[in-house]
Amino acid sequence: MFSEVAPKRITLSEWSRQFRKVPDEVIKKFNYYQNSDWGRYLSPPATFFVYGARELKELKFDNSFSSLRLWGFVFNESERLFRAKQTGRKVIATMGDLGIIPVIVMAFPEAIPFYPECFWWVPFYNKSNVLLTRASELGIPEATCFSKAILAAFSKRAYFPVPDLIIAATGASCDDYSCLMQLLEDIGYNPLWVEIPLRRQGSEERVAGYLIEEYQKIWQKMVEITGRNLQKEELKKSIRKANYLRSLVKELKETVSQAKIAPLPALEMMVIEFGNLYGYGDFAEWIKIVEGILQTVKERVAKGIGVLREDAIPIAWVTPSADPILLNLIEDFGCRVLTTEYLINQALVPISENLDPFLALAQAFLNASLIGTTKERIRRIKEEVEKGRIKGVLITNVLGASHCALETKLMEEELQAVPVLAIDVPSPGGITEQLKTRLEAFIETIK
Amino acid sequence: MGLIGYTCSYIPVELLSATGFLPYRLIHGTISFSEKGEEVVKVDACPLVKANLGYLLENEKRFVGVVGATGCDLARRQLEVITHFTSLPVHILNNPRTDNPKIFNDEIEELVKFLEKLGQKKLTPELVAREIERWENFREGLRVMDQQRKAKPSLFSTSDFHKLCISYHKGNPPANFPSSTSSPSTNPRVYLLGSPISYEANPFLQLLEKDLQIVGDFNCGISRPLLIKIREKNLTGIKEAYYHQPPCIFKRPNKKFYEWVSMELKERHCQGIVAWTLDYCDNYEFELSRMEKTFGLPLLRIRSDFSFSHISQWQLRIAAFAESIKENIYV
Repeated sequence: MFSEVAPKRITLSEWSRQFRKVPDEVIKKFNYYQNSDWGRYLSPPATFFVYGARELKELKFDNSFSSLRLWGFVFNESERLFRAKQTGRKVIATMGDLGIIPVIVMAFPEAIPFYPECFWWVPFYNKSNVLLTRASELGIPEATCFSKAILAAFSKRAYFPVPDLIIAATGASCDDYSCLMQLLEDIGYNPLWVEIPLRRQGSEERVAGYLIEEYQKIWQKMVEITGRNLQKEELKKSIRKANYLRSLVKELKETVSQAKIAPLPALEMMVIEFGNLYGYGDFAEWIKIVEGILQTVKERVAKGIGVLREDAIPIAWVTPSADPILLNLIEDFGCRVLTTEYLINQALVPISENLDPFLALAQAFLNASLIGTTKERIRRIKEEVEKGRIKGVLITNVLGASHCALETKLMEEELQAVPVLAIDVPSPGGITEQLKTRLEAFIETIK
Repeated sequence: MGLIGYTCSYIPVELLSATGFLPYRLIHGTISFSEKGEEVVKVDACPLVKANLGYLLENEKRFVGVVGATGCDLARRQLEVITHFTSLPVHILNNPRTDNPKIFNDEIEELVKFLEKLGQKKLTPELVAREIERWENFREGLRVMDQQRKAKPSLFSTSDFHKLCISYHKGNPPANFPSSTSSPSTNPRVYLLGSPISYEANPFLQLLEKDLQIVGDFNCGISRPLLIKIREKNLTGIKEAYYHQPPCIFKRPNKKFYEWVSMELKERHCQGIVAWTLDYCDNYEFELSRMEKTFGLPLLRIRSDFSFSHISQWQLRIAAFAESIKENIYV
């Protein structure tokens, strides 16, 4: 589908025109939860603009059919979660851990994990302060990380169904989520707290031991909630599925990064990286979507075509951009995002299939971005800099996010060999000419 | 004598001092130190972290090492900044957020190993017992003074009490505790809680006590050490006492923090609460509305970056708050 069109980033209107070429039978073919009656999700991004995602009108999207599938699926998540609940599935909020707990949850066939924190993108996509204002009404200070939108989303009970269980990870990670999750108790939720230990050299075995106990606690809770006393073999199957997705994404990232011309934009790549966390609530379908994307990328690479200019300047991106439009902007200004550190390294590494599954999960989690030092976190970026593949590093901070406040200068120290620009992502709709000028100046410096 | 810097109430001073070095709690708070700290972290880091970093950068030579804990995220990460920008050996105690004594006990064992290496001496049971005795005496002296502060009418001001606590946090017991007390205060009785009270915050306490009487507090920098009572004079006793102190607000869930403060408010006959928070102090700032609701007492919020530029506003607000309590507007 669309094989005749050259790859490029297109607008919402262009997508709507191109979508007319999609036959009805193709639309019917793609479903979530394998349900062809009500599980369709293939639609042009303009659909979600109508639903309120006003930023989509300013964004540019990859024009491949596989990306169309991706956007339809990702934006359909709210609907999907409500459907899950309606059809008797257990909806489990897995907060603050990013990457491992969903693998445990997914072992239970009727359980759907999701990350409420990923809803921090909603105010940006909607160009709306509704959630942020509600968070303030709930007593959250103004100068707080945008993750405060999550508390508001819980309070409004409109963005996702009331979860059957909230698993709240706290400990050696960032504080913002921990504080928000604590406040959930006040609005009628009762999280199951999970301890995230600190990673230190030499203490890995001990730390893994703590994690195993926590994961076993979650397993027991899931048995209680679902009434299914599963064998560990089911957890191993879940690990194999997660690994398959991780291997696909790894291959995709490598293929995209090594291609002469960028075969996929940074925005879609970010959405794909985050899909590793929980497959946007339907792991099986998400795997098929990523397989499709990989196929598209391989075809483009084989033909030597892509979405950016060949001379686009390769940069690294550190910390996910709360406002997705920044990823577009940096490409418009002539850059290419070659490598990333989006705080979710634990979701990208393979999980051992030869060990006890709980130990394997614990060991995988020990790769987490935020539980160790900044130096460890940006090691890969530094390696790419040293190889000469990266010409600059862009860090997108969030004002009031605890880790950003202390990590940024350490990163700048570590990455002195290339220009580094650290910006604070402004509130929804707040990208100013001044910020654009800073980005342009940064790119000029690299040139 | 060389100093061992430390950052948290969960780090046993008895073990630090057993090395032969002086435990020195990093709890500085001035604008100048904070600005110095901003050379190595972003502006939106908490002022306490920035000021401590600034202090350490200027006084590195006085220290032999630093022991920190994973209290809040910023407190944990400041240790990495110290590691990077100074040559001091740094140890992190992973203080669990959930109820997990096993992790805490293991961490104390790890801390002992670090300290033995740092001090080049074995922390023998005799040495540990002696240090416990010494620090327990110190704490007991503070507890006596706290009882006077708690009395109705209150016989000892918190600003004076803070000065005694400073000597504890700097590892220097006073030669004598004051025998005579301040004159009784009939100002409205309030409880102080929130972010740490720094060494340099005494003028702020004095300002508060012009119109109010602080009869109790739950603050690092003031009374936190009093709540630690070691019964068995050995390492097990240390682990027990430090783990089971009234829990910090950052513990999850933090129900026990609320229970403890509620009990204190009743026992100390408090008429109001003063919540002192530092910029970007998530653990307290996020919970202020909840505190108002839960404790059911009038609550005065004062937010600070350590500057005294808002002092006139503060004076006015404190006076108005005192007035409203006197008039029993809320209760």
